[in-house]
Parts: sequence; structure tokens; C-alpha cells
Amino acid sequence: MSKVGIKGYSYCLNHAPETGSRYGGTPYEAIHSGKEQEYLDSLPKFLQSYEHALHYAPNQTYIGGISYEEFESLKTPWVENLLSDEKAKRYGKFGELMPEDEFLGLISACDEFELVWLEKAFAEGSAKKLAEDPVITEAIVKRVLRPKNMHEISEIETEVKERNGLALYFDGKVIGCIRSGHPTDPCLTAHVLLENLAGKASGVLALLHLLKNTGMNPSDLDFVIECSEEGAGDVGQRAGGNFAKAIAEVAGCINASGCDVRGFCAGPVNAMINAAAQVASGARKNIAVVAGGSIPKLYMNSRDHVKKGLLALEDCVGSFAVLIVPDDGTMPVMRLDVLGKHTVGAGGAPQAVTSALTFEPLQSAGLTFTDVDRYAPELQNHEITEPAGAGNVPLANIKMIAALAVMKKAIEKPAMMQFIKEHGTIGYAHTQGHIPAGVPFIGPACELIKEGKIKRAMIIGKGSLFLARLTNLADGASFLIEAPEPVAETSAVSKEDVKALILEALSEVAGKLA
Amino acid sequence: MGKLAGKKLLLLGERDGVPGPAMEACLKDSGAEIIFSATECFV
Repeated sequence: MSKVGIKGYSYCLNHAPETGSRYGGTPYEAIHSGKEQEYLDSLPKFLQSYEHALHYAPNQTYIGGISYEEFESLKTPWVENLLSDEKAKRYGKFGELMPEDEFLGLISACDEFELVWLEKAFAEGSAKKLAEDPVITEAIVKRVLRPKNMHEISEIETEVKERNGLALYFDGKVIGCIRSGHPTDPCLTAHVLLENLAGKASGVLALLHLLKNTGMNPSDLDFVIECSEEGAGDVGQRAGGNFAKAIAEVAGCINASGCDVRGFCAGPVNAMINAAAQVASGARKNIAVVAGGSIPKLYMNSRDHVKKGLLALEDCVGSFAVLIVPDDGTMPVMRLDVLGKHTVGAGGAPQAVTSALTFEPLQSAGLTFTDVDRYAPELQNHEITEPAGAGNVPLANIKMIAALAVMKKAIEKPAMMQFIKEHGTIGYAHTQGHIPAGVPFIGPACELIKEGKIKRAMIIGKGSLFLARLTNLADGASFLIEAPEPVAETSAVSKEDVKALILEALSEVAGKLA
Repeated sequence: MGKLAGKKLLLLGERDGVPGPAMEACLKDSGAEIIFSATECFV
């Protein structure tokens, strides 16, 4: 079996401006350097409200509030052409955009070690709101209300002042804290634990939506592969893991186990390949590929946004989940025989990378560039990246693919712009590292395939391995999603069939001997 | 040897554009001294 079915998918956002504007990597660095007071004073004026985030088209596209096709037709800039109230809903076809007070409650529900303290009234309010969420279970709501996680504000303030706790804010007030996990271990500081618990909580939300979207009973899930960029561990093994199993536990997937796959932004595509191979081989009955999001990536480019007087839009922790099952001929499939691999020897030149991820796998399958209806390479929202000087990443990638298609004589040079328009994708994902890495388009691609509008899409992820200072290399991987084909029925052979076949063979032999 | 001969170069690459090592390879025979080369990621 070289194909697996994509049974469902979920995409969620957790609005987190107050947490992000203090503990996102860029603001956090500025606070601690003490050298960027002007930026820090200005940032709060450029934060986006939850209501505004709901009306912002890229966010609704991510959670499936509007279709990808509708998104493509919208007037830009999206930030000045907000969606109508009718379309700006919390819940979309794929998932939801959760407000920050509920996200903090969910983080508390994901805490097993009394690391999260929320002020009692805040915790109760958050739990009450969470109880209205269709995917949040009663057990999760009860966990928010555990006495060990609820404390007086005076106790919280003491924990922050005297024991290296990290204050949590809502409406500008301290409403809780993350406690330090160890007096000296740098891998268990409150700041690291906030990142990991937020990654876990956002992953839980995505998995819960996946279970709802697919109608799967949590106890039927066999395995989880988590593919974010966080590292959970202690001083002895600083990224030992395992987010996958921790997420499955909170989601009630009692028969599942799991493990983590890492590779910077190439992690999700590699995790999809890993999951598909395990399901195709029969090693697992089904696998949920899940990723929570990143607190450090919040407001990563906000220095430039603030400098240019623009809204700082990097305020959502993203997450996603995809359910891989055996191919039964009824759902979009992921092919395992056409995989893009950026080898060590391929080099880092853009042409070499693009060739390894698109041309080479397509050629090996007897396909050409125009056989792929849509390419989804890195789907960052350009309204976030362009003001920061990082350009329009998805457009840059599809331009490179188009140029390679011309070089390989798959299209004529004058047809390049048409190819870019017809086969490219517009980015709508938050700059959450692994989150925009091709995978946001798995959902829309499957929807377009089910509607008969496209037959084939390529998902491409690229990872900046060099950031870890282990190698100067980047990485990349890709795979194809296609429309299903009827699966040939394999009926059991009866004893009578075997007898008839033997008799037929014997009579043939007898005939030749005669 | 071109107009970069004898110059000192700082190369700032980008993952989805042109990475640092690719620029280094192109400029290897330019006669310039590459004193810093890095690739950054803003996404």
C-alpha cells in the first residue's frame, strides 16, 4: 500500500496578545535588554483585539470560517478589508479561534504538576466559558477548577516575586502565574514551562477538534505524532519529549500512545510522511499528526510593525491536527511513492532545494509541474512578513517553482505568471514556524478534491536547521495529496475456487501430455 | 577578479531567498574576504 487516506483535519488559533506581548521572543528580549523602551511602550497601542482578530480574513481562512477559494477572491489588504460580522465567528469548519482568557484556563487544565496558578474568580470565569465550547469535555472543565490550580492573588504575587514565577495577565491585570519547575534547572524555568504548556494546550485543542470533525471516539485513536518545535525535558535531556502522549492523555485517547518528530518547520511534513508510512505498513491502525503552537514566535516581527505604525498581527498561537487512516477509496489520499527529500548533498541554492522538493519526486512518478493543481509551500501571511522585510514567502516559493518549470521545459516562459496564479497558494497562516509549513493547506486541498475542483496538491515544508547551530543546512520535504481512486475489492478465495483452479491446471498439463 | 576584490563582505542570507552558504559559493572567487555569513529565518 503506497497510499493512505486523510480522514480529517483541524486547525485552531488561540488569541494570546497579553501573554505574547510579554513573553513572545522579541518583546521578552527587549524587556530584558532594557534598551528598547520606546518599542515596549508603543507595542500595546498596536495590539489587535479579539473581535478584530475574528474579522481578519487570514484567521477565518485558517479555522475554516471561510473557504480558501473565497479567501483568494477577497480584496486586499485584508487588515483594511475586514470580514462582515456574519463571517467573523469563533468556530469554523476546521476549528476555532479561542480567546485568551479561555486559553489560559486550558493551559491550567493541561498542568499535571501544580505549575499553573490562576486567581480563583478568573479560573471560575474561564471554566464557565470553556464549558460552552463544543469540544471541551467536562473532565477538562473540572481540571481548570482543581483547588491546587486556584490561588489567592496575594499568593500568586509572592510566587512571582520570591520564587521566580512568571505572571500571567488578562485585561492588564495579573490573574495568575506559571511557577518555576526547579530551583536551578534552566530547562524547567517558568518561562520554558509556559512555552511547553501552551504548546501542549493548543495541541490538545486541535486534537479535540480533529476527533469532533472525524466523528472518532477518543478511545479509537491508535497513535499520535506531535511535530511542533518546542522542547520538553530537563537539564539531563533538554528536549526529551513527549508532547504527543501528553496531548493524547488530556484528550482522553486512552488507547493511544505517541512520540514527537522534530525538524524545525519541516517537522510537520516529515511527521505526515512518518505517520503515513506507519499506517500504510499496518504498524498502526490510525495516527493523528498534531502540533501545538509557539509562544516565543508571538510578535516576532513586531519591532518593524510598531516602527511602521502597523497593527502587530502576530498574536495567535496556531495548532493543527490531521488523521491518517488506511486508504479505502473514499477520501483524499496521501501518496507515499512521490516524496520530496532535500538531501545533504543537494546544497542550499534555491534552485537545488526547489528541484529536490518538486521536480525530482514528480519526475520519478512520471508527472510534470502542471500535473499539480496547487503547490502549498510555506503559507505565511505576507501582511505580517512584508513590513518586516521578509517578503511574500509563498509567492517567492511559487515563483521559484515556476522558474524551474520553465528551465525544465514544462511551461513556456510567457506562461510563468499564469502558472504562478493558477498553481500557487496565498499565505494565510501565522508566523508560528512549523504551523505555516505547507500543512495549513491539507484541509483546503482535501475540501477542493472532495468538491471535484482539483485533483492533486503538493504540500511543501522547509526547516531552518541552521538556527540550532548544528549544521548550516536547511531541510525540506514534500508530498502529494490526490483524489481517491476506487480500491479493488479483495474477496476471499474459497476451497471450491482452489479446487477449480487445480483441476483447470491439471487438465492443462494432461492435455499437453496427451 | 571583479569590483569586489579586496573588499570585506558581510553576507546575510534568508532561508526562502538566497541562503548564506549559497552566496559564499558564488563569491568564493571574487577576491573579496567574507568576514561574516549567516542565514536567518523570520517566519
